[in-house]
Amino acid sequence: MPTTLDLHAVLPEIILSGTLLAVLVVDLFLRDERKLWNSVIAMAGVLGSFWATLTLIGDHRATFNGMFVVDSFALLFKLMFLAVAALVILISANYLDEGVRSTQGEFYFLLLSSFLGMLLMASSRDFLMLFVALELVSAPGFLVAGFKKRDARSNEAAVKFFLFGVLSTAVMLFGMSLIYGVTKSTNLVAVGQALAHPAARSEPLIVASILFIVAGFGFKVSAVPFHFWAPDTYEGSPVPVAAFLSVASKAAGFAGLLQLMFVAFPHQSNVWAPGFAIMAVATMTLGNIVALAQTNIVRLLAYSSIAQAGYMLLPFAVVGGAGPAVMRQAFAASLTYILIYSFMNLGAFAVVIVVNRKRSSNLIADYDGLMSREPGLTTAMLFFLLSLAGIPPLAGFWAKFFVFSAAINGNAAWLAAVMVLNSVIGLYYYLSIGARMVLRPAEDQSRIGVPFALAAAIILLVIIVVAVGVFPDFFNHFSPRSTLVAL
Amino acid sequence: MSYYWQYGTLGALTAVGGAFVVIAFLGNRLMRPRKPRVEKATTYECGMDPVGEGWSNTHIRYYLFAFLFVIFDVESVFLFPWAVQLEKLRPQGTVLVEMIVFIGILAIGLLYAWKKKVLEWVK
Amino acid sequence: MNLAWPLTLGALLFSIGVYGVLARRNAVLVLMSIELMLNAVNVNLVAFSTWIRETIAIGQIFALFVITIAAAEVGIGLAIVLLIFRNRETINIDEIDLLKW
Repeated sequence: MPTTLDLHAVLPEIILSGTLLAVLVVDLFLRDERKLWNSVIAMAGVLGSFWATLTLIGDHRATFNGMFVVDSFALLFKLMFLAVAALVILISANYLDEGVRSTQGEFYFLLLSSFLGMLLMASSRDFLMLFVALELVSAPGFLVAGFKKRDARSNEAAVKFFLFGVLSTAVMLFGMSLIYGVTKSTNLVAVGQALAHPAARSEPLIVASILFIVAGFGFKVSAVPFHFWAPDTYEGSPVPVAAFLSVASKAAGFAGLLQLMFVAFPHQSNVWAPGFAIMAVATMTLGNIVALAQTNIVRLLAYSSIAQAGYMLLPFAVVGGAGPAVMRQAFAASLTYILIYSFMNLGAFAVVIVVNRKRSSNLIADYDGLMSREPGLTTAMLFFLLSLAGIPPLAGFWAKFFVFSAAINGNAAWLAAVMVLNSVIGLYYYLSIGARMVLRPAEDQSRIGVPFALAAAIILLVIIVVAVGVFPDFFNHFSPRSTLVAL
Repeated sequence: MSYYWQYGTLGALTAVGGAFVVIAFLGNRLMRPRKPRVEKATTYECGMDPVGEGWSNTHIRYYLFAFLFVIFDVESVFLFPWAVQLEKLRPQGTVLVEMIVFIGILAIGLLYAWKKKVLEWVK
Repeated sequence: MNLAWPLTLGALLFSIGVYGVLARRNAVLVLMSIELMLNAVNVNLVAFSTWIRETIAIGQIFALFVITIAAAEVGIGLAIVLLIFRNRETINIDEIDLLKW
């Protein structure tokens, strides 16, 4: 068995691992008032890793016996994860330096560990790698959710996230162990080939195993009925952590789910697609309806992100027994939605972090009259909210449009109708925040002040949201799909 | 639409399962005598009745040591398959380097614990 | 080897674990129940690995990873539970209810 390693293929991961170890060691020798340097090192590592990923564009490489694959799907996800990592560092630097100054180093260490897991997740084509990557994404997440150690709410956020997270992993692993027994392999492509046999199409054991695995990933992407942890965890965690969890860990969950469903289990799509239809409809409907009743902005964004996960799940529902064209379109639609969602949701959270500096209550009422206090910030928030609502010409519109047309082409008009109905509910609560910011008078007229790092992150995100909205052709050029998908 | 019917089996199983639970609990409730006492109403947990104070504190430092032990102990599990295969794989060169990197990362963890004064037995 | 026996053991362990997660109110016992579920996975993996007679024992390697990651998770879980006990003086998961909609 050859053991030659393709080190260039894993270079982004190596740079990120080196950086996170460097942060951990350097932090030990920094005095408290100089701990901000940790964020600089972390940022340098993320940018280095981003560069290494760029050098791989166009390549198709496989190493570690096919467990680790670099293809356009993996690279697209990696670039997105690293961009999100850089933005998360920007939006958390001030919050941390003012809040939990002495333990910042650990925060960046954990954050980068989690992002390392995401990079691995995008490249893993094996149950074992998927499992290790998923745990590497989640385990640091449990710790950063409880990062405010003296705060009982933060503790509670951590324990809920932890118990649900570990439980879901156990359920997923049980499913994986059974699939491994049936197919005699843990490689996704080999599993897909073994399960292509007509007798395997609706074998109860296989169907049950897929159900276990989907349930496990359902927790990670907070799909109804596995969503209970998400609002509590987001609300209790420090706000930058909520931003990070709602974006990055959800996208990582989808990166795994897309590969599992379209590479390993495409021949069982007759069986799982109806399940996904129910899950998608329940997720978007419940998320949107409960979001209407929220008074806390972080909780509202939590339910909104649950609803958004519903839209991302929808393309999975239309591929039941469909031809390769529909499958390819569904795959691309879900992927595009995840990419666009990540940036617009991160933008909304960045604004919440700014307002949180003035008032830590995170109530929606704090946003009354924000326009008169911080016009630039409010305009940015309006962009993000309208994009989340799916108003053209912002990026969110195209995300919804791709999912919608995938549903129509997949002969699932009723799903498209449910989606439109839900978008209207979503529009209502996104717009009502916008209206409060612009129309209501502010209690407190003082300015909030946007620190440089946060301002930079917000400006970048606005540019992304607008640019993708104006030039949606970008996605047609990239043709984002896994080269391993037998489509 | 035919594949939706396959979920009919699942539905039937769910119904039977639900009925089983309802009947079992309902039957139990109808037939049993009901004489609650304080002692009966307490939650059943296995083990002996605690005598005296239930909480006897173990000092936190035991937890830290136990935790460090568990982590390093379990990580060593990766050494065994490596050691078995070492002779066979050594011609290809990098096997030794890989293990040095692995142990180096563990050593950084130990360095962290040491600098954070976890390894000192504070009285 | 009769594959049915270890698989039955695995399924039973897994079910006991699920029951424990649902029925226990003590966070540490919930954690132990989850460990039981992970061990059920290990039983399955090792049994399948032997049954398949692999040249590379991928199932056993998988089990090793499950064991180590489970240990790391227990460490994280106990640390979080400890933190809660310090702040709230309870580890009953029914009483950890500050956050709700």
